[in-house]
Amino acid sequence: MRKYIIRRLLISVVILFFVAFVIYALMRCLPTSYVEAMARQKSMQPNSKSYEEWMEQLSAMYNMDGSIIQGFFQWLGQILRGDFGDSWKWTVPVIEKFNDTVWLSFIMGVISFALEIIIAIPLGIIAATKQYSVTDYIISIIALAGISLPTFFFASLLKLVFSVRLGWFDLYGLVGKKYLQLSPFGQFMDKAYHLVLPITVLVVISMGSLMRYTRTNMLEVLSADYIRTARAKGLSEHKVVYYHAFRNTLIPIVTIIGESLPGLFGGALITETLFAIPGIGFASYQSMVSGDIPFSMFYMLFLAILTLLGNLLADVLYAVVDPRVRVA
Amino acid sequence: MEQKTLIEVRDLTVGFPSEKDGIHTVVDHINFDIHEGEIVGIVGESGSGKSMTALSIMGLLNKDAVIMDGSVKLRGTDILKLNHEERRKIQGDDLSMVFQEPMTSLNPVMRIGDQVGEVLKLHTKLSDDEIDLKVAEALTSVGLKKPEELMKSFPHQLSGGMRQRVMIAMAIINQPDLIICDEPTTALDVTVQAQILALLRKIQREKGCSILFISHDLNVIKEICQKVIVMYHGTIVEQGTVEKVMYHPEHDYTRKLVASMPEQLTEDIPKDPLIHVKDLNIYYRTAGKIFTSKKDRMVYVKDLSFDIYKGEIFGLVGESGCGKTTVAKALTGLNTDIEGTMDLGGTMPQMVFQDPFSSLNPAMKIGKILEEPLKLAGVTDKAERRKKVNEMLLDIGLDESFAKRYARELSGGQRQRIAIGLALMRGEKFIIADEPVSALDVTVQSQILKLLIKLHKEKGLTILLISHDLNIVRHMCSRVVVMYLGRIVEMADVNELYENPMHPYTRMLFESVLTDKKKTDTDKITVNEVRPLKRDQEMCAFYGRCRYAQDKCQEKALELRNIGTEENPHLLRCCLRIGKDE
Repeated sequence: MRKYIIRRLLISVVILFFVAFVIYALMRCLPTSYVEAMARQKSMQPNSKSYEEWMEQLSAMYNMDGSIIQGFFQWLGQILRGDFGDSWKWTVPVIEKFNDTVWLSFIMGVISFALEIIIAIPLGIIAATKQYSVTDYIISIIALAGISLPTFFFASLLKLVFSVRLGWFDLYGLVGKKYLQLSPFGQFMDKAYHLVLPITVLVVISMGSLMRYTRTNMLEVLSADYIRTARAKGLSEHKVVYYHAFRNTLIPIVTIIGESLPGLFGGALITETLFAIPGIGFASYQSMVSGDIPFSMFYMLFLAILTLLGNLLADVLYAVVDPRVRVA
Repeated sequence: MEQKTLIEVRDLTVGFPSEKDGIHTVVDHINFDIHEGEIVGIVGESGSGKSMTALSIMGLLNKDAVIMDGSVKLRGTDILKLNHEERRKIQGDDLSMVFQEPMTSLNPVMRIGDQVGEVLKLHTKLSDDEIDLKVAEALTSVGLKKPEELMKSFPHQLSGGMRQRVMIAMAIINQPDLIICDEPTTALDVTVQAQILALLRKIQREKGCSILFISHDLNVIKEICQKVIVMYHGTIVEQGTVEKVMYHPEHDYTRKLVASMPEQLTEDIPKDPLIHVKDLNIYYRTAGKIFTSKKDRMVYVKDLSFDIYKGEIFGLVGESGCGKTTVAKALTGLNTDIEGTMDLGGTMPQMVFQDPFSSLNPAMKIGKILEEPLKLAGVTDKAERRKKVNEMLLDIGLDESFAKRYARELSGGQRQRIAIGLALMRGEKFIIADEPVSALDVTVQSQILKLLIKLHKEKGLTILLISHDLNIVRHMCSRVVVMYLGRIVEMADVNELYENPMHPYTRMLFESVLTDKKKTDTDKITVNEVRPLKRDQEMCAFYGRCRYAQDKCQEKALELRNIGTEENPHLLRCCLRIGKDE
């Protein structure tokens, strides 16, 4: 097992190299260039140098004067020395901006992920054990609705009903007007209160597929021969479902759970933007729009690493729940 | 001797409601009794309702199935009228069941000990330690060694035979009154089958329980049962003692079942080799790893030499894993990693596969499937292809209308006919039939075998018949080769081999076979389950399981040697000549 993990990590390094290159090349090919925008802005100021001169100067400053390959290796060299650089847009170190925004997104991600699992897996199992019943249909419809609803539409709908009509929540923002006057506990509750709607959106949108996946798997397991064997022993239906079938159902589900690791840190771009939550999703959107290469590169590489680790984690979890995988 | 009645089935009727035509009845008003300490067999083809009967008694019917009428009395109480909770008290306590597929019937994520002990945990008040003791005892009584170690294992670490023993241990551990065995040996090798049957008889004798034994295999039923019930289309057509039903059948269907083996072929074939294989080694490569270019090349079949004469049916037998299918793959060119001589005499061998249900493309019409080889051969005229397809359909005992159907609309037998037709489409004179009938019912088996014989005679077809069923090989083939772990261990004319088997492995195979001639005392068969895993070792591959193993067998495996005459060679890879040296 250890050998396997080491080998996987080594392969991951190779993959990361190419991922980084592709992302860098894409960033350079984007029509919005930070340097161009800056040069245009500076040359418009009175008594300024011409646009071309500014371009030359700024390109050299930001390592944008060479080819894509040159630029990439310069960037890579810096990274390998542990220097992630400063964000162009925010003019603070990339790490600092990242640190400022990622934890909020992480908290949102973890809470919605936990809720997703707590709601989706049991509902999926119930739907499977009562296949073709009214309960099953209702659950399936909820799942389908969750999958089909576009985030922006659902978020707007919630805002319309709960903020505009009922007035229960603020329309957007992480904190209320009186935030600074509140006690530390009050401040915490205020933030939590403002996160209710965004998290609801995230849970409803994402739980549908997990629910359907659980249902399908459970149905498959329930028709397996060894479930018949368990029934032949005279076990209660509850024991058959939650003891014999459940662990087998988990086997494919852990892959999904492993794959959602990057989602925990990655932030929710649309939801954060709509609710004006200052998380990493919102920040990454801004950095990409303005062509902020250091921050975008860092963020996307971070996601790539998480994705690779998530897949590795899924495979390791696979071995934990399925003894057949352990030997190999 | 008056025996008490244990199970009384009266007018049992089971059906599936369907939207089209009301209720589709699968078991129709059947009546039978099982006495205490009796082994009762139910025999019939798939779809005859035998499994449905068993599942009704056990209370494990699918949700869609409905019991429409009748009663099943266990010592006088009608168990069909019990509610779910009362029913569960009987399941696993008074009644237990052994299923057909040992490979899938155990929970893959639970340890053996937990699975077997669960029955006791549920139905008794024993402590965990007592349960562990009982489990170890049960595992030992079904002939498994090192029970403590085994209890900590997971199912995938066990062979099929061992898993079936675990299933039996699970079924007997709580001393049930009736064990229902639904085709418990169908998925197993002949040698393992014999051991399992012997084990079931031993258990029945020692524990005094009754067994309801379901099988499609008459020889198995004959071997183990005292009474037999013949089912056909959901009804019982005949029941009585094994002697009466099997040897003096009254119903037409039973007669058909009993006589479903085709007549033996006797013919003289000129010894004109069509296929010549000499010193052939066949390899498998295990996948290489990404950072290391090292690939493990494993020899799977070693020192293979044989000739197949023009116009003969040549048999290849052995247990699963012995390399039978690998040989077929090498001959058809599906496995190209070979060393040695393989002269196919200008033929392009075609294959008939084992499973007719999955080897035909479900999305293509039969006509299209049959046309494909012709397209490959360059027959561009559509009308000509159609004509040839229609001719072939007639040849294989079907008619032209089949060209427009899909595989799913066909029965297993019809599909296998198509598979044979497909192999013959390009007019090849040599086909390889890899277990062509093992997935089929007995009566259908005989039809397919008859078709093969007919084609063999009419078209002068040469056939390599791969089978684990020694009865079929005896009836069909003129010469037979026996393989064990990738090597030929014995080869001779069919009559010579069957009357005078020399290799200990061949003998073991034959002793395991259940023939209608005599009741073999299978209790005598003791076999080590240990099999060497390495194929490329020097020592005799059969050493671990051989009854006559001596020290010298460990040193070096022998070459094949002829112990017959020049005219009728009998090749053997063993230093002993059992019966003479013994």
